[in-house]
Amino acid sequence: MVVTGLLFASPAVFLLWESVRLGGDLVAVVATADVLAPLARSLLLASSCAVGCMALGTLLAVLVSRTDVLGRDALRVALAMPIVVPSFVGATALLAATGRGGLVPFVPRPEGFLGAFVVLTVLSYPYVYLLVLARLRHTPRSHEEAARLLGAGTWRTVTTVLLPQLRPAASAGGLLVFLYVLSDFGAVALLRYDTITRVIYSTRLLDRTTSVTLGLFLAVLAIGVVLLARSAAPEPPGPKPAKAAQRIRLGRWRLPVSLLPWAVLVVGLFGPVVVFATWALRGSTAVGFGYSGPGDSLAFLVGPTLNSAVAAVTAATVAIVLVLPLAVASVRRPDRLSRGVVAVVTSVFALPGLLVALTLVFLTLSVPGPLGALYQTFPLLVLGYVLHFGAQALRSSQAALAGVPARLDEAARTLGASPARRFVTVDLPLVAPGLAAGAGLVLLSTLKELPATALLAPAGFQTLATRIFSAAQDGFFAEVGVTSLVLLAMSTLLTWVLVLRPALTGDRGRQDGP
Amino acid sequence: MPSTTRSVQLRRTVLITTTLLALGGVAACGSEDPAGGDVSAAPEAASTDDVLTVYSGRTENLIQPLLDSFAEQTGATVDVRYFDSADLALLVEQEGERSPADVFISQSPGALGYLNDLGLLTELEPEVLDLVSDDFQATDGRWVGMSGRVRTLVYNSELVEPSELPTSVFDLTDPAWSGRIGVPPTNGSFQDFVTALRETEGDDAALEWLEGIVANEPVTYSNNTATLQAVAAGEVEVGLVNHYYNYRALAEDPSLPTLNHFFEAGDIGNLNIVTGVAVVETTDDAELANDFVEFMLGEEAQTFFSEETFEYPLVEGIAPGADLPPIADLGIATFDVNSLGGGLARTQELIAESGLEG
Repeated sequence: MVVTGLLFASPAVFLLWESVRLGGDLVAVVATADVLAPLARSLLLASSCAVGCMALGTLLAVLVSRTDVLGRDALRVALAMPIVVPSFVGATALLAATGRGGLVPFVPRPEGFLGAFVVLTVLSYPYVYLLVLARLRHTPRSHEEAARLLGAGTWRTVTTVLLPQLRPAASAGGLLVFLYVLSDFGAVALLRYDTITRVIYSTRLLDRTTSVTLGLFLAVLAIGVVLLARSAAPEPPGPKPAKAAQRIRLGRWRLPVSLLPWAVLVVGLFGPVVVFATWALRGSTAVGFGYSGPGDSLAFLVGPTLNSAVAAVTAATVAIVLVLPLAVASVRRPDRLSRGVVAVVTSVFALPGLLVALTLVFLTLSVPGPLGALYQTFPLLVLGYVLHFGAQALRSSQAALAGVPARLDEAARTLGASPARRFVTVDLPLVAPGLAAGAGLVLLSTLKELPATALLAPAGFQTLATRIFSAAQDGFFAEVGVTSLVLLAMSTLLTWVLVLRPALTGDRGRQDGP
Repeated sequence: MPSTTRSVQLRRTVLITTTLLALGGVAACGSEDPAGGDVSAAPEAASTDDVLTVYSGRTENLIQPLLDSFAEQTGATVDVRYFDSADLALLVEQEGERSPADVFISQSPGALGYLNDLGLLTELEPEVLDLVSDDFQATDGRWVGMSGRVRTLVYNSELVEPSELPTSVFDLTDPAWSGRIGVPPTNGSFQDFVTALRETEGDDAALEWLEGIVANEPVTYSNNTATLQAVAAGEVEVGLVNHYYNYRALAEDPSLPTLNHFFEAGDIGNLNIVTGVAVVETTDDAELANDFVEFMLGEEAQTFFSEETFEYPLVEGIAPGADLPPIADLGIATFDVNSLGGGLARTQELIAESGLEG
């Protein structure tokens, strides 16, 4: 655990080192008006999105899991998808679709705080959605049934019985959204909402001291936020794993309520897809490289697609394996050390990917030693992903473990099972959905990751994300469109096969249960 | 039975995951084997131990064909890394003495100047430097311009009469342009332009121009592409961008009402910001690296820039693409391109002072 902690602390250490080397003064840099205003905006946007995503993600997960909302089965997968769209691509697509000259000209172009809030919420709610959905899988429905039997209406049952049990998962997701929005640059730049990441980026060559010092500040801020956000209330002991319960019948509310998830998908998924398809089909006449329009071969995308898939699956697996011991320790035997390490691990998620990448360059090349051989190799790249996104795996593992009733574990212990056996036979099946959700988040984040991939990957190793960036840089939108569609398709496939299907089959298998 | 179904699902998941992980293992071991890039090894395995590592701020679509051609002609292997010029410069700096880079290609002089100030570039061979006019290379010969990107005013022909168009970039501060201008203040090229303005007219005049623009309530965008799209959509009527964006946009959608307008000859608004190439100090094959730079300044490459990417060639004897006005006609403000590599910090300060927020 200490090793994990040190590893995840390396970005902060690197930033501190650079800051000291360049003579940056943390307080002086932050206290200037030029920085305080963007900082305030960052915090405002991050908290608003976190709250928004918690509400939206939880609501959608409950709708899909507990009610007979229209198109339930399709929604289950589709609702997780908006997270796959890189924020700068999603923002570009929504900007292209709206306003004068767009596909829906009557919708005003998103911009400023409101625009950034809407776009980022719609693209990030899956952080909450996936975690809550996994939690719902194992939330004992007997409580809900009991409440109903005692005469509580549906609404009351949901708010007083169900929601409190979802709070840890929702909060975990909410924290991830908060940190993610802090780190985002692409979307807020396009939507013209000036946040602290803009300052970090715009000064990165011209005033390296400020840039690095602000990066350090962001890391410290993130650690502080995580420590403060420790969920206060302990998990109520849940007696047994879920068995099928009656689905809430929405009755006459079915149609209006069903509009919500589909509307969210229109903005977060279908809208961008339509824009991508438009770009891809419209094609390009004079530009003859890569992709010029329908009829052009897509063979150039085969390599990047494979690379993306392999990198993402590897990163997701390594992340879960690496953080699981820490998650177990922090939930079962919480102490100051585990809390500290958890905070450090989680904070890295708030940093822009560029800084995480430079940290690894620093560790392998600037520090004298044999680590240099690792430079720009695939394992180092995976490490970069794990460092950056490990927080997602950690938080979801913690949320899942917190939901495991301690009584089961104790019962197994009194029966003489060793800790390892207990873990594998008792805990693992119960936390598997949560772990799968966490792995899914890391998978989806890696698929769209850009700076670490561009800087740390082996020469010639391209992913779909780097190709999209390349094409977007110079305005080759036909290629952006078709590559984005491939990314979405592949992400859907991977998530469905590896994450959602195993995690959710139990629900369907039991829907006609006793 | 649910549990049987679950274990079947689990087995399937594990199988698929393991397969992908195994592929990952292969990728890790054979990390020299690019699964994605179009990097071509030499057709006749002449000297495949000659590897040229290129860090390129120019995107793949705009330069890969040239890299492939060079690889084919020399028999060397070209390993290229694509990303943003500034981020790649940071990478080279962080890599320090153990940097694998041989050649650095930049979208603008900014990143090259940054690396040069840190002493990370090495002097190019004299015969290479001779290929390009002194206006378009570093004074100490450590980097050289490759193609020209000209600042222009793109306008929406449905909303703006040609007679209204300004003759000088300074005219944009006229109140007649209030609410009609789009600019990307955080964009490198815009800032390069402001630096040029400072160098030729002085800091005070530059600040005055910036404040004049701010007074006209411009709409700001994060990059040239977004600005152009806004002009095309009619959200703003004119925008300050680089010349080639419109050509590429029109290639994708000929129905766009956008046109380029160049200011009068000699106006600083027509600034030519060059893309550049340099040899990194840590290179292990300076000769091959210099050969590469020479190739980029040769007829094949310069014609490519002119005809395929709509940029201006910088070498004598190559005409710009048919659509483009000749560079001489524009009277591109000749200007100390070296100052574009430095002095951007002060530019940023002025932009902030004027209140122009991106």
